[in-house]
Amino acid sequence: MIEQAVEAFVQEATEILATLEDQILSLEHGATQQKVDEIFRALHTVKGSGAMFGYTCLSRFTHHFESAFELVRAGKLSVDSPLIDLCLAARDIMSEFLAFDGDNAGSRELLDSARVAELVEKLGRLTGEDAASGMSVGSTPKTAVEEMRLERTHYRISFVPEPHALKNGMRPDLLIKELAELGEISVRYDASNVPALSELDPTEACLGYVITLTTTASRSTIEDVFIFADDAALTLEETEVTASLVADPSSPIPPEPTTGQEETGATDARPATGSAGPVARKEVRSESIRVASSRLDDMMDSLGELVIAQARLDAVAQDIDDPTLESVVEEVSRLVVGLRDATLSIRMLPIETVFGKFKRVVRDLASDLGKEIQLITEGGETEVDKNVIDRIGEPIVHMIRNSIDHGIEAADAREAAGKKRMGTVRLSARQEGGEILIAIEDNGGGLDTDAIRGRAIERGLIPEENTLSEHDLHQLIFEPGFSTAKEVTSVSGRGVGMDAVKTTLDALGGTIDVFARQGRGTRVILRLPVTMAIIDGLRIRLGESVYVIPLSSVEECVELSDHDAARRSGRSVLEIRNEMVPFLELEHLFGQSGDGQAKRRVVIVRVDGARVGLVVDDILGQGQTVIKSLSSFHSSIPGLGGATILGDGRVALIIDVATLVRSADVPRAASVRRAA
Amino acid sequence: MTAATRFASEADLLREEGPLLVFRLDEEAFAITVTAVHEILDVQPTTPVPNADLFAPGVINVRGVVVPVVDIRHRLMMEQATDPSRARIIVVEVVIDETTQKLAFAADTVEDVIEADITRVEKVPDLGAVWPQSYLRGAFRLKDELIILLNTETLFHPKAASQAAA
Repeated sequence: MIEQAVEAFVQEATEILATLEDQILSLEHGATQQKVDEIFRALHTVKGSGAMFGYTCLSRFTHHFESAFELVRAGKLSVDSPLIDLCLAARDIMSEFLAFDGDNAGSRELLDSARVAELVEKLGRLTGEDAASGMSVGSTPKTAVEEMRLERTHYRISFVPEPHALKNGMRPDLLIKELAELGEISVRYDASNVPALSELDPTEACLGYVITLTTTASRSTIEDVFIFADDAALTLEETEVTASLVADPSSPIPPEPTTGQEETGATDARPATGSAGPVARKEVRSESIRVASSRLDDMMDSLGELVIAQARLDAVAQDIDDPTLESVVEEVSRLVVGLRDATLSIRMLPIETVFGKFKRVVRDLASDLGKEIQLITEGGETEVDKNVIDRIGEPIVHMIRNSIDHGIEAADAREAAGKKRMGTVRLSARQEGGEILIAIEDNGGGLDTDAIRGRAIERGLIPEENTLSEHDLHQLIFEPGFSTAKEVTSVSGRGVGMDAVKTTLDALGGTIDVFARQGRGTRVILRLPVTMAIIDGLRIRLGESVYVIPLSSVEECVELSDHDAARRSGRSVLEIRNEMVPFLELEHLFGQSGDGQAKRRVVIVRVDGARVGLVVDDILGQGQTVIKSLSSFHSSIPGLGGATILGDGRVALIIDVATLVRSADVPRAASVRRAA
Repeated sequence: MTAATRFASEADLLREEGPLLVFRLDEEAFAITVTAVHEILDVQPTTPVPNADLFAPGVINVRGVVVPVVDIRHRLMMEQATDPSRARIIVVEVVIDETTQKLAFAADTVEDVIEADITRVEKVPDLGAVWPQSYLRGAFRLKDELIILLNTETLFHPKAASQAAA
């Protein structure tokens, strides 16, 4: 139970930190009060819940960050580039703390490390500088605003946790400790609700706490201590106000005004139900629910079963041929499609979640390399399956790095070439049918076609007298270990990158294509399936076996005449509307005999930008296909992308067209394999 | 339970693992622990997987799950079955490389589930046995018959055990 609560915290904090990066970066375009407030709230949440769930090192570090930001929020510190740098660095440290499994030797070491100390000192200097202009900041870790308060108030706090609070990870001892940091406290326990020992459930909270606190802190600061115990019954009464020794008698400031901006309407003692105040803030954001993605996977599995059962029902209904049955089957079929779409849409996330993190990459890299680069993103609202999202980030980062390092020239060189000093990397996404197109474009120098040709000949990838078009030559950058970089930089040039990108794309059932114009720029286009769970598939027959070809890669189907079947110079080529299309016989690729009939069909598919025909015995039809992954016995066989269950209960294999064609033909691929 | 013997550790292990499922291939009796067995089915239409390893030539549908069919005769260096249509399919769940995996194999007949209060698991004599030792855990006697206890971990692993290759 507590583990779940901790897990939920880690998940939430991870998300907060991801958003935080964006929020900090957005300050560059002007700091509005709203943005600043959001950042402050994020920091406060991490600090508060971190301490509660055993991440006190994280919490202690965040405290310094928050203190600095408090000044920004109060308008006492202006947002400038060095501050943003500092905030980004601090955010990264927070991520590092979060990566530790709670408090342990590692996190304590990090907290004591020189770089953290340096950062804390810088943050401290920010708050310290301000102190010179009228505030006194002591060595105690308290926020500046708290320090400004000069009266000491006595509060009587009655706090009765909700019975299940402990299971949810609430720690009354830590709350009391936090209160103790605010001033002098004394605690009494109220045991009136404690049952007899025989009935006592040790996981339930039954103690009440009555705390008297003498502090200079404001009421809202105290309420903030209890921010995560909002189900508890909490009352907060001021008993008396005494002027402290340092109080300035000329300005008897009442407690509220200085911090009034934090929480208005909190002056009344809270009702015993404790539902007012901080709770309201949470409700604003509670329109969505958080669900473990494994549950969605389970749901998807069940839906897959349903689709298969429905296909079976269809087949049975066709045999029986009863109009009443048929109308019911039709209705069920419609409902299943609706359910499928609804379920798939739950798994869809806007690609913005991936795009967000690239702003940071571009900013850091551009400043490392001393280039002037802006990132423009478009179509961030395009929705993609979560599984795809999770795996697409790495390849895109790679290509952005390439664009920045190799593509975009230094500002002076750009000016000399008559371009704007500032280079642009444009990242865009849009949906096209069942595919998502992601384009990464830059207006840099393009690809060096001659260097690629030279390197390819050197590596034996193409013959010296090659006749490849410029576009085809450019695709060679995706070959394993291919790099034309004259020197290896820390950013790129080892030639492992594009190859890895292509491998990831293949695994996702996507494709990659590069277009470049010398001196003008480079554009890389990724095509990805919208979802990886259910696809539209074309069922084909080969001998007695049925296979499914993903419809997204099918362009058209034609008949194979005897004339076409005649081989020309050892290579089979088909003529379709004056275009020569090479074709492969599936029975040879699969070592499986077809039924040798005369009228065979050819499925034309698109692989790596080229059209290729696959000869099959027959085309059976198309329909929804639930993809089931293959076991470790079969997953590495080229040409197979999974399996599915047909209406009659048999298993059909799903053809992965890209790996099939690549493994089969293409002399280029063969020579690469020899070279490897 | 009987007292400890020379092979106490192996016997203890068996007691922990519980009863055994006995099945036959070419009249020979083999056993695997029953806890690994998921279900037993009639022969299913198998979908051949092109370019697959001879040990895992196809897949079948077991209640909506695509399960690889393995050919343990191939691993055990036995001839192909004479009448595969009368076989039974045993679906097992084994842990391979730390992930639980379902797979199926054919047996000529499924005999019985026996209590594994075996006092003796002996090494299978090298002489006269065609089966590679790396796939066996040993043999024990039951009613005058020798039953071969198979090692499910090596037998069902996608990679053939090195000894078997020799």
